[in-house]
Amino acid sequence: MNRVPGPDLSVVVIVYNDAELLPTAVQSVLDQSLRSVEVVIVDDCSTDGSYEVAQALAELHPDRVRAFQLEQNSGGCGGPRNRGIAEVRGEYVVFLDSDDTLQHDACRNFLDAARATGADLVSGLTKRVQVRTGKSADWYPWLYTSTRTFESVGELPDLLVYDTLSTNMCYRRDFLRDNGLEFPVGIHYEDLLFSAQAYLAARRITLIPNHVYNWMVDDTGTRRSISNRRHEVENFVHRVRIHRQIDAIFRERGLDDLKLHKDTKFLKHDLVLHLRDLPFLDDDYRTQFSRLAREYMSRISQEAYERLEPIHRICAYLLMEEDWANLNPAIDTLINRQKLSVPLTERDGRVYWCAEHLDDERARAILDVTDLGYHAKPLRQMTLRAKLEQYRQTGQGIAVSGTVVNPLGRITEQAELKAAIELRPRRKGMRGITFPAAEVRHAGDHLTWRAEADLSKKLRPLGLLDPVWDIRLVLSIDGTPTVPMLITVGDAALETELPLRIRPRLSRLVADTLEVETSAKGHLAFVQVAQGSVSRRSRAGLDRALQGAPGTVAKNGLRRARGARKYVRSGETKIRVYHEVFSKLPVRKGTVVFESHLGKQYSDSPRAIYEEMRRQGVKFTAIWSYADRPEDFPADATLVKRWSFPYLRALAQAEFWIDNQGFPLKLTKRPETTYIQTWHGSALKKMGFDSPQLRVRTKDQQADYQRVLDRFDHFLIRSEHDARTLVPAFRLKDEVVLRSGYPRNDALVAALDAERKGGGRVRPDIVRELGIPEDRTILLYAPTFRNTAAGGVRKFEPPLDFDEFADRFGDRYTLLVRSHYLNTVVLPPSVRGRVIDVTSVHDVTPLFLAADAMITDYSSVMFDYALLDRPMVFFAYDYDEYVKDDRGTYFDLTKHAPGPVVRDVEGLYSVLDDLPRSESEWAVRRKQFVAEFGEYDKGDAARQIVSRFFRPGGSK
Amino acid sequence: MSRDIFIVSNSVDELGGVTTWSHQMARLFTERGHRVHMIGITPSTVSHRSAGELPYETTTLYDTHPPQAWSPKTLGDLANMSARMRQARRRAGMREQAAKLTALFRAARPGGVLIVTQVWAMEWVNLADTGDLTVIGMSHESFAAARASSRFARVKRHYKDVDRFLTLTREDADLWARQGMNNVGFMPNALPWVPGTTSPRSEKAVATVARLSQEKGIDMLLDAWAVAVAEHPGWTLRIYGAGEDEQVLKQQAARLELDGSVEWMGRTDDVPGALRSASVFALPSRAEGFPLTLLEAMVSALPCVAFDVAPGVREIIADEEDGFLAAPGNIWAFAEKLGILMGDAHLRDTMGERAAVAIQRYTTEKIVARWEELFDFLEL
Repeated sequence: MNRVPGPDLSVVVIVYNDAELLPTAVQSVLDQSLRSVEVVIVDDCSTDGSYEVAQALAELHPDRVRAFQLEQNSGGCGGPRNRGIAEVRGEYVVFLDSDDTLQHDACRNFLDAARATGADLVSGLTKRVQVRTGKSADWYPWLYTSTRTFESVGELPDLLVYDTLSTNMCYRRDFLRDNGLEFPVGIHYEDLLFSAQAYLAARRITLIPNHVYNWMVDDTGTRRSISNRRHEVENFVHRVRIHRQIDAIFRERGLDDLKLHKDTKFLKHDLVLHLRDLPFLDDDYRTQFSRLAREYMSRISQEAYERLEPIHRICAYLLMEEDWANLNPAIDTLINRQKLSVPLTERDGRVYWCAEHLDDERARAILDVTDLGYHAKPLRQMTLRAKLEQYRQTGQGIAVSGTVVNPLGRITEQAELKAAIELRPRRKGMRGITFPAAEVRHAGDHLTWRAEADLSKKLRPLGLLDPVWDIRLVLSIDGTPTVPMLITVGDAALETELPLRIRPRLSRLVADTLEVETSAKGHLAFVQVAQGSVSRRSRAGLDRALQGAPGTVAKNGLRRARGARKYVRSGETKIRVYHEVFSKLPVRKGTVVFESHLGKQYSDSPRAIYEEMRRQGVKFTAIWSYADRPEDFPADATLVKRWSFPYLRALAQAEFWIDNQGFPLKLTKRPETTYIQTWHGSALKKMGFDSPQLRVRTKDQQADYQRVLDRFDHFLIRSEHDARTLVPAFRLKDEVVLRSGYPRNDALVAALDAERKGGGRVRPDIVRELGIPEDRTILLYAPTFRNTAAGGVRKFEPPLDFDEFADRFGDRYTLLVRSHYLNTVVLPPSVRGRVIDVTSVHDVTPLFLAADAMITDYSSVMFDYALLDRPMVFFAYDYDEYVKDDRGTYFDLTKHAPGPVVRDVEGLYSVLDDLPRSESEWAVRRKQFVAEFGEYDKGDAARQIVSRFFRPGGSK
Repeated sequence: MSRDIFIVSNSVDELGGVTTWSHQMARLFTERGHRVHMIGITPSTVSHRSAGELPYETTTLYDTHPPQAWSPKTLGDLANMSARMRQARRRAGMREQAAKLTALFRAARPGGVLIVTQVWAMEWVNLADTGDLTVIGMSHESFAAARASSRFARVKRHYKDVDRFLTLTREDADLWARQGMNNVGFMPNALPWVPGTTSPRSEKAVATVARLSQEKGIDMLLDAWAVAVAEHPGWTLRIYGAGEDEQVLKQQAARLELDGSVEWMGRTDDVPGALRSASVFALPSRAEGFPLTLLEAMVSALPCVAFDVAPGVREIIADEEDGFLAAPGNIWAFAEKLGILMGDAHLRDTMGERAAVAIQRYTTEKIVARWEELFDFLEL
């Protein structure tokens, strides 16, 4: 092989006062799998002997290490790196900081990629490693998912704006020299400018998914690196200056599109880094900061704002407006993303962040948060902002008071409110303490609360393992608890004259006092410190204890205990316990475990069978499985959480399993248990072994799936169509098939009978509960879900504009929207009363009974609703994509549908304009459809099941 | 330079893709002047090759197959003394065999290379002293196929410290890199042979060459064929190969009433001839690595249709350029692509000729050169 003498690759290691870590960095280069690497150490005039260490390394490895020193300190990374570029001999150059390391194969992978593609620049994945814990996180991993080569950074602008480090890259040396690429000196964030210039100059860039660089992050010591000192205004000045320089380059070269990308990133990343610190800094800083920021941001186009998430957009806007009153809570949401920090305001059917600025059209667009669904989300699932007003230490404990946001006034004045204070160690897996009986009052767009907690008596921390305690407000509204809220300190003064004495369980030597503090995310918290006469040690004493041997032993013990608990609760262990313990216990006669849609609902045929058993007074032990919350499940049954130990035990000992989808696949059914699989719908799309997804699996995988299916002792079908499709698709034996019809549909058949016999259409209670006027025709829109390309569930994007629908039909129709249970939908307040989200209603049957007509697409609701003989419209806006691209269908919907198949919104509206006509036109087809797909739904399915299995003389 | 090259596989004489590949590479390296030594860990239960005529040395470590690997999984297992003793014996035996490997490796000249073709064999190599040899570990299957098997964990464990861990395609290598295997690279397979003459594509015949086992997906091909041939009567599907699913597949063909259009050709020793008499090639496999049959069909100038089940498949076929890919398991898509080729002689010719040209990137000369470059690169 023809090679110029010298190394293939040079690593420039820069150092400033880091004699301790430098050898580790250098060793990570010397240990590279690629041997043809030299190290060029450049010392920025250290005062701690770093240069002597560098020289010693050079002496030790004379062929591989050279050491240089700048004549005077340059104050940054740029100067030493530039010197390195001048000194290197390798064909390629990599930069390494003295406190970081290179991954073992980094140089080999860089060189391999550079040679294979001829790239000027090769970039790989950085891991940020916490020195203290050893935990690591990937830095912008989505850029490094596969090997990619670009002829210009314009092909992937994200690269230029996101991963702006200069250290995870390999540069062709001549590329740097020919383009005169150098780091700016005397300014922070030199990487930003250098990497931007390098990306722009590169004629070819290759990204590799390999991990190349360890960015060691040390947040324990007093040393804070430049990048964690961002609360200093100086830093922001530097950052803005660098951005202006990059902007100038973009302008020079006419790279408007890149400028847009960078502006978007500035708003969503750079600005956010500084905004997050604002609540903790003084007014002087804020004024300076906002002046600088506003001046720079005035050059950012509207288009950049449109690409932001709502909260980023809102913060940037409020900063520009200098609306501090609204910006402060907005930053709270920015830092704590799940938190709603303002009461919001509703205007003209839309929901806005605040009531101010709304006269301006642009402001309305920015402040509109309707689509976030705050107005529709159940209160118990929301994290509301609790703000501290007063904090006082009483000697025995604390007295605190504050407010809680009342979103859109949804907490009514009549609501029964209760509150408590909870203290909990921040370290996971440790128990907290609750102080009940806080006072709470309604006060318009917020609540006020006040509480006293006698900490010194009740709080008995361990002392060593639980140094930090978080405090939360637990609010319950009409008996329903909300998400516990951390308490934002903000501008509240903390009165700490009287110390908070505590008595740790382990020893008072490590701590005897609680000190209040504000957490990194702005919340009230307590730290144990030692201040008393017993031991006048500082906070560092506790820190040392935790760092040292006893702390490590204790922490490891805790970790192990937690690990053991985690192990016990892991799925694998549970499955083993189910098989090896629970399944050895005797089967309990008369025990029936019910589950519907994996525990997500109390609904469908399992519910219909359960209710029929209750109606007939069958003696049995009922157990219902629920996935998340037990509310809305029957009170007269034992409720077990899916995958809990009680659930597994119930399944292991049950005489009957009844569900409509599938009990956990890995659980073997005992032969003594009878499994009645009601299934949840006839099939349009190919199912089971008929679907490509299953077809393509290996023999073993198919056998696994077959074992799951073979657990069914009985499988309910509602037509010969099912017998022709589902039964072979699941490879079920004939004797398993029960031609009973679906128990869930008995109510539909009965309703039609009653209607035909002259009783007229009786509206179910749910119509009144939803507040729908008597004279309104009710339409039910029930689309099915769509898969993503990767096989997941795609987010539901309504194919029709609900506002438009409400304007056009709102006086005649009420539209009930039921998205698939795997999806959610957000309706704007403007359509209130005219379009109603019924996704969370467990059981669809009453909705069928309520609906005078049905709009669906390919959902199996078509087979059930058809039993009511009411008009149906098939809104198949994506028919070709849905049917052809995925798994194929058992029949051609367009030929068999019992109603018009429309392809767009206009088509849908024109059918809705004259529903009665459509109803009569399609009457014959509806009958045919029921005959073909629902022949066994005769209204007695539940009775059949009960008398066969649960009545004396019944058989399994 | 001439190197000592060891190729270590599970076995040197079993029937299968990896063994075939090992012998092909051993022959090619020998022709280039390298000194090749092929080592198998165990003898195959049924020997398919005679070792005598080979131009390179072969060695098999064990006389009989060693006991299965076993580790205690339950408390009960811990008390299973006979199994534990068997394991202890197995480990002792492995060390004994590894010592033989060490002796062989010690005799190598500087610049020697050790290629381990299967991760199972690596367990022995890891017990041996490989000295200054450059160690290359290989996975001859797609990442997804490995992931679905016990080999996933074993690759991560046993190939962790090899100098280079080679997969078949860049896409597979990238997936392994994301699993933390930063020593990963890739190396495609070479064309097994080049035909004297390519197919004239004059017969209305679609061919497939595969073992008749579930993995090869002939059942899906038959379903797809039923759809395709209904639109294009007069065409024949020739299935070359034998295997355990033969009866089931024939029953399926009968059920689909394909008896007139499907010919069961049995196993053939004349694959080039079989391909020459076809106009289209079908590869309906459920899992693949870097399918040699596809290389063979394309070098015979046949347009191919395959399920897109592995990076190796999409690496070989340029979809809609020199062949077609169908979504995995989607027999309607497969039928549609077959139908397009069956109904368009001009397209068959264009794609077939393109395939024959494009596939030249995998000639033995090119692949051997890539290997030699890799050996040099790993010495840097």
